[in-house]
Amino acid sequence: MSVQDIYDAIVEFSVDKVVSLVDAEVKSGTDVSEILSKGLIAAMDEVGQRYSEGEFFVPEMLMAAKAMKGGLEVLKPLLSQGDSERKGTIIIGTVKGDLHDIGKNLVSMMMEGAGFEVYDLGVDVDTDKFIANAKEKKADIICMSALLTTTMPFMEVTVKAIREQGLSIKTMVGGAPVSEDFANKIGADGWSTDAPGAVETARRLTSK
Amino acid sequence: MEHEKGDLVVEFTKIFSQTEVERVHEASLEILENVGMLVRNQKALEIFAQNGCIVDTETMMVKFPREVVEKARETFVPTYTFTAQDPKFDITMPGDRPVVVTGSSAPNIIDPKTGEERRATSDDIANIAYLINELPGFDVFSISTLADDAPEGQFSLSRFYPALKNCKKPVRSNTPNMEDLKAVLELGYLIAGGEEEYRRRPFINHHYCPVVSPLTFDVESTEAVIYLIEEGLPVYGTIVPNAGMTSPLSLMGTLTLGNAEFLGLATLTQMIRPGAPMIYAVLSTVADMRTGAYAPGAIETGMLQMAHTEMARFYNVPSGGYIGLTNAHTNDAQSGYETGMNTTGALLAGADLFNMGGLLGSLMAFDFGKAVIDNEIALMLKRIKKGYEYSEENLCLDLIAKVGPGGSYMDADHTMKNMRTIAVLPKVATREMRRRWEDQGKPDAHARAMKEADKILSKPNKSRFSEELDAKIREQFKGLVAGDAKWSL
Repeated sequence: MSVQDIYDAIVEFSVDKVVSLVDAEVKSGTDVSEILSKGLIAAMDEVGQRYSEGEFFVPEMLMAAKAMKGGLEVLKPLLSQGDSERKGTIIIGTVKGDLHDIGKNLVSMMMEGAGFEVYDLGVDVDTDKFIANAKEKKADIICMSALLTTTMPFMEVTVKAIREQGLSIKTMVGGAPVSEDFANKIGADGWSTDAPGAVETARRLTSK
Repeated sequence: MEHEKGDLVVEFTKIFSQTEVERVHEASLEILENVGMLVRNQKALEIFAQNGCIVDTETMMVKFPREVVEKARETFVPTYTFTAQDPKFDITMPGDRPVVVTGSSAPNIIDPKTGEERRATSDDIANIAYLINELPGFDVFSISTLADDAPEGQFSLSRFYPALKNCKKPVRSNTPNMEDLKAVLELGYLIAGGEEEYRRRPFINHHYCPVVSPLTFDVESTEAVIYLIEEGLPVYGTIVPNAGMTSPLSLMGTLTLGNAEFLGLATLTQMIRPGAPMIYAVLSTVADMRTGAYAPGAIETGMLQMAHTEMARFYNVPSGGYIGLTNAHTNDAQSGYETGMNTTGALLAGADLFNMGGLLGSLMAFDFGKAVIDNEIALMLKRIKKGYEYSEENLCLDLIAKVGPGGSYMDADHTMKNMRTIAVLPKVATREMRRRWEDQGKPDAHARAMKEADKILSKPNKSRFSEELDAKIREQFKGLVAGDAKWSL
């Protein structure tokens, strides 16, 4: 039994196994932050890599993220303040008028898998709700998702509101119709075509 | 369904036996009755509650007893009409099938000069509207793109104004909220010369996707749909399940879930106004599970459309949807075979409505060349529909005897009479010998299509608004975009 087993269980999408392995590893006295970084987070990086190479399909990435999340739940109460805040805090949701949340859910999972503190506000989130929650949770990034081309303008509304209020919160946008040009035009700090890319972007935006 | 004699599609392609069709219907009723739908719109919840559904106002869950759905079925109507500013372009399904429509609401356009993708503007919409007005294969102009230059508060006006100004065929599109919808209707009243006049011939044809799969009614689109049905204005919805993502990863499961969602929307429609016309419209797809990519160009989209159309025939309502889209990013072989194969399948299965024209990259970008090529595909579909024109006269026995063995039909009066109508005479497809084609600079289908677009758009648009009407509109809506077709390559 080792941290490597946890890593392997995530890459094999064994949700139940990950929970019991993490539990046992904690009881055997292994350093919690080592389990987190070398077991859980490293495994998700591997999963993201295999997805990018076309080996893993989307449902496999999702299952791995679920397995990882199971392990994370075990660790959470044991992590010191520094461990949990280290990566950054993220507010995520689909924009006003848009209920399409599959991509957003995947990004949310992968962000958690990468060790971010994620607050998922669900669907149909307006600017006030995004900003109020971001302030309350002291978020580093607001992530907005849209599938409908007609709801994309609400991303710009939120980005503008953050700027006008002089907040230092970063913004990321994603969803099928969102392009780099669009992200630049509305002044978002980051964008991505897929979930692993969103994790990379969030890491870049939160690295000091 | 009735057919004219000689219609090629005398008997539509059938996938299921009658028993199997009935089972899909039964299974859909089971889903609506036992699983139910999540209804996030308050008015819709009230309507369902008042009409026999079991509504939990806390969870917003609605269950549909089967007799409620069956009652709604009794008032389904078999036809749907798209009204145009110019009555000669009015078109009714299923009689006028196939009804060919552009794809809509893409954020981008392939710039006709540079060939690069960029955000689309209201000027682009004006050019596209004019092009679609002139291309004979298209029957309805669904506003192809968004307008990135829209002034604040005029998101939808910046789309509908250039569209209506430059296209006299039925114009179709959506609006993101009630405020925009009412502004667009206001524009319609002005053009018609008054609200009453407009309501007699409502030439703005509204379309929404109020159902978000799986089994959910949204807030804003559902609000618009309810309002329009109440007002007796034309509206229909498209059902869009995506197998592996928002519906089961089997064609049967996605067909059945989509069918249940259609019945859910149809039940709401008939509760509000019994006899309100509807289209059984879908964009059922199978996701590419390698990446989760949306794949409207995949052959499974055509297969699903064919089966949904068979279900629509069971309900006796017109059918169709977004069929003939492509994932290709340029006018290449993929773009052609995805649009061609899926629309042909759907036509042979009996689909009436084809939202197919002009978009690349799975609804992301409009391309002028693609629209011209799709016009040609539309003309081919209409040729298939026209069929053989079976008759004794068309057997040509007298003519065959007269010419006899070894003669020629070239100079027969019969040939002279038919030579401009019997075959599609394509403007994009080449029939040149190779040498001549090389001498022309080896133009591919896209280059030839762009030449056709240029030919049309280089001439001034004769169908635009009168100066007087235009002044009235611009007076009412201050700061409106110019909305004029302007073209130079």
